[in-house]
Amino acid sequence: MNAAEAMRAGQTVPRPIPPAFEELFRKEYGRVVAIALRIVGDGDDAEDVAQDVFVSFYRKHPADAPYAPSWLHAAAAHTALNVLRSRSRRGRRETAESAGLDREPIDPARAAEVAETRAEVRAALGRIDERSASLLALRYGGLSYDEIAAALGVKRSGVGTLLRRAEEAFRKEVRS
Amino acid sequence: MSEDLLPVPEVRVDTERALSRLRARIDAERIAPVTRAPRAARRTPVSIWARGLAAAATVAVVATVLTVSGVAETILTIFEPKQVVAVPITMNDVNGAPSLATYGTLTWSTPPRPFDVPDLRTAASESGLTLLVPATLPQSVGAARYGVMPRTTATFTFSAEKTKQAAAQQGRTPPPMPANIEGSKLFITGGPAVVMVWDDGTRPTANTKDPFASLPKLMVAQGKGPLVQSDGVTVEQLQSYLLAQPGISPQLAAQIRAIKDPSSTLPIPVPVDLATSKKITVQGVEGIFIGDSTGLGSALIWQKGGIVYGVAGTLTEAEILAVANSLR
Repeated sequence: MNAAEAMRAGQTVPRPIPPAFEELFRKEYGRVVAIALRIVGDGDDAEDVAQDVFVSFYRKHPADAPYAPSWLHAAAAHTALNVLRSRSRRGRRETAESAGLDREPIDPARAAEVAETRAEVRAALGRIDERSASLLALRYGGLSYDEIAAALGVKRSGVGTLLRRAEEAFRKEVRS
Repeated sequence: MSEDLLPVPEVRVDTERALSRLRARIDAERIAPVTRAPRAARRTPVSIWARGLAAAATVAVVATVLTVSGVAETILTIFEPKQVVAVPITMNDVNGAPSLATYGTLTWSTPPRPFDVPDLRTAASESGLTLLVPATLPQSVGAARYGVMPRTTATFTFSAEKTKQAAAQQGRTPPPMPANIEGSKLFITGGPAVVMVWDDGTRPTANTKDPFASLPKLMVAQGKGPLVQSDGVTVEQLQSYLLAQPGISPQLAAQIRAIKDPSSTLPIPVPVDLATSKKITVQGVEGIFIGDSTGLGSALIWQKGGIVYGVAGTLTEAEILAVANSLR
């Protein structure tokens, strides 16, 4: 059914996407995916997160809002962390169910190697506080200090320190 | 960043394909875009901002040019408010005082561009301020609305020629501008600031003479106080030059001269015909309470930790003080 038919049928027709929104999408989509990717570690999942982020922005905010990029960056990290957490809850359940079957003696060297696998990295990211996890994702996702400060609502001068603390917290979590 | 703590596989994004996917979803779920939130609800904070900013700019600039004292050799901070003081003014003072444009040119390097934001978090991130919010709100207020005023900077350059022309148009003869004031500059910085507005759904009747006519139920504003620097004008001379201008009443000049620490005191003009003011302790510091003579509206202004705070609304003194003291 085209728009005219829909109107005749008395249905409401969604307005076309405003050009400003398309422009924002083209400008920020890659970065939103990059931020989400650093958290979820998988391209398809990261693109799903990006779709959700843009849809929720589209629902609530005008495309020409000056805070649009900062909002999208923060939402990318936040939404991706939610995906990661629900995934790790599911993962823990599955691991617990199979734990009794193939338990092996723990070799520290092997454990360290395992800890470096992407899955472990992601799990560790899900365990540190949200702001630290977001900071790491935004930074490794390619944002500047100014952009990180804007997205997380922190002072530009404090980003370096917060980032170092986040990295320490993260390393500790990966090791534990 | 020496090591990549979050290694990821390389992903190539196809933005156009992603945009098609988004279009399909928006279409399927019949999602309407937000262009602007409802007009009526949105316009108020910006216009409040514009008015507030105009008032703040006037206050800051008038305060500066009228109250600065001391001798400046090079660029130095000549005005940075650490406390506030009420300066009673009459309507004659307001109408008679020459505007700043009389003395030179104000050039905005970063013009004031206030905008609305959807929530407190965005207000904080856009302004870079650690925002205080009231823990206590009066009954019957609706949801808060937020506005952000980014940091604004301007330069004012004194011009003897402009002063002469302006005076000639009004048939006045101003005192000659001292040679060291001519061409000297003031660097003015204001903000960032954030305003939060709560309405109760009713609008007071418009009365242009009543400064509180446009007040919402409650408004909380906070921002970096104005900072003014000079490039070396002999500011003592500046003060005596400006206070001797036609249009500035001897009473007003005396009030300004009486300010003990003019380079760190923000004078708040209080129109004596319409409002009363008194000192009041708020958040542990000395602030000013301003009440309009009808008792319909009131405002509280204070300075703490480099931030100027204002709480205003169509509320009683006790209510407004309770809100102000609950900010945290």
